[in-house]
Amino acid sequence: MRLSFIAPSVVVSAISALGQTPPAPASSPAPSYARAALLPARIEKFTATPESIQPGQSLTLSWATENPVSVNIDPAIGKVRPRGAKTLSPSATTTYTLTVKGPKDQVVTQTVTVTVAGTVAVNLTPASGTQAPPASSATPRMPDGKPNLTGVYNSSSFNFGGGAVRGQTDPVQATLKPGAEKYKVVRGPTDAGVYASCMPTGVPLAYFVPYQWEIVQGLDKVVILYEYLHMFRVIPINGAHPADPDPTWMGDSVGHWDGDTLVVDTVGFNDRTELPGAFRHSEALHVTERFHRTDFDRLQWDATIEDPNVFAKPWTITRTFPLRTDLDKVDEYVCENNKDYKDLFGK
Amino acid sequence: MISRRAFLARLGLAGVGLPLLAHHGTGMYDMSHPVTVTGVVKRFEWTNPHAYIYMDVKDEKGNMVEWSVEMMALNHLKSYGWARNTVQPGDVISCTGGAAKSGAPTMLSSIIKLSDGREIKS
Repeated sequence: MRLSFIAPSVVVSAISALGQTPPAPASSPAPSYARAALLPARIEKFTATPESIQPGQSLTLSWATENPVSVNIDPAIGKVRPRGAKTLSPSATTTYTLTVKGPKDQVVTQTVTVTVAGTVAVNLTPASGTQAPPASSATPRMPDGKPNLTGVYNSSSFNFGGGAVRGQTDPVQATLKPGAEKYKVVRGPTDAGVYASCMPTGVPLAYFVPYQWEIVQGLDKVVILYEYLHMFRVIPINGAHPADPDPTWMGDSVGHWDGDTLVVDTVGFNDRTELPGAFRHSEALHVTERFHRTDFDRLQWDATIEDPNVFAKPWTITRTFPLRTDLDKVDEYVCENNKDYKDLFGK
Repeated sequence: MISRRAFLARLGLAGVGLPLLAHHGTGMYDMSHPVTVTGVVKRFEWTNPHAYIYMDVKDEKGNMVEWSVEMMALNHLKSYGWARNTVQPGDVISCTGGAAKSGAPTMLSSIIKLSDGREIKS
């Protein structure tokens, strides 16, 4: 289900600015969306196989839920995806509790007890459903002492499994320079929007889609993987741009550390992508990102956008991305079933 | 007129992340007058950018018409609890959402009622 319309004015302007075609304003979400948002959550399955083990053996917990707002397994596992399986080797008899939150205040739980032969039960009553705390809430560090940004992060409005992205509804503060009006994208009523082509989004629009994204950090380079469209960027630390980079969709990135902040400088863009706010740009686009992982769960980010052919001055977007503790990695995304919608708009 | 955020806050959903942006806009579907279409599943395409269910639907004249039911992308469907085998060929399902403004037998579904009656976001 989609909510490409109904929103407070700032979100409506952000959506229309992003090139989506907003339908006529209405006072509430479309009836089917509103009802979908209230569908109760359910637990379809929560099993342990086997339910009795010898010490040192493993078992697999397996679960399936529907319409959840959040899903947790305690103890020791925390936030999980709505469907999944996990292999564990508890040292003592343990009762696992699956806690599913649904719309409004709905909570459903189910337990399964795994018996470890010859041991005493570690928890006699189901857990309260709160997430197991991480070992430390401090920013993880690399062996060289630099912050370790490795992790999967929430993006845009897609909040499942993580907190809301702070700053996502901030209005875009870009000013065209005089004579650059042609760079403002204007879409007609039957235009399906900037994402309909399934071509790479460029930077920073890659952070505006409701899909998680991932940082994999090494000592000499950082790799960013965006689940949407399977985009990636490789960022050499203390690297240098080529003198004349080939124009590409995602640009050429180099990074350096400014204290605990990773600064990523990207040039060498082609002019095929759009910027937030529904602006085109030239090959002179220059994006500077700053990544600061303030603690285990939070990545502060901002992107400063400059294009002397388009904007009167640089402008900046700010977000705080929460960590997705339920995910180990992004999934594959191949745009294999794209459609042409032009004939569906009607007469 | 109240804002969506205020509306959702009243429902207690202010913290629920509903996708604001999609692969494309929804202007080609009539989302403000949802319909429910019931049919027999022929195939389920578990794909990006959208999953699709193709189903046989009997029209008013008794003719079989193949409807295509567009659903969200896999990332969102997984968050609703879908798997690639949640529907199977032969299942009788009911899909609620906006039909194409052109009148073509295709729709964007917000809710699917599965063959055992349970409803799941789509």
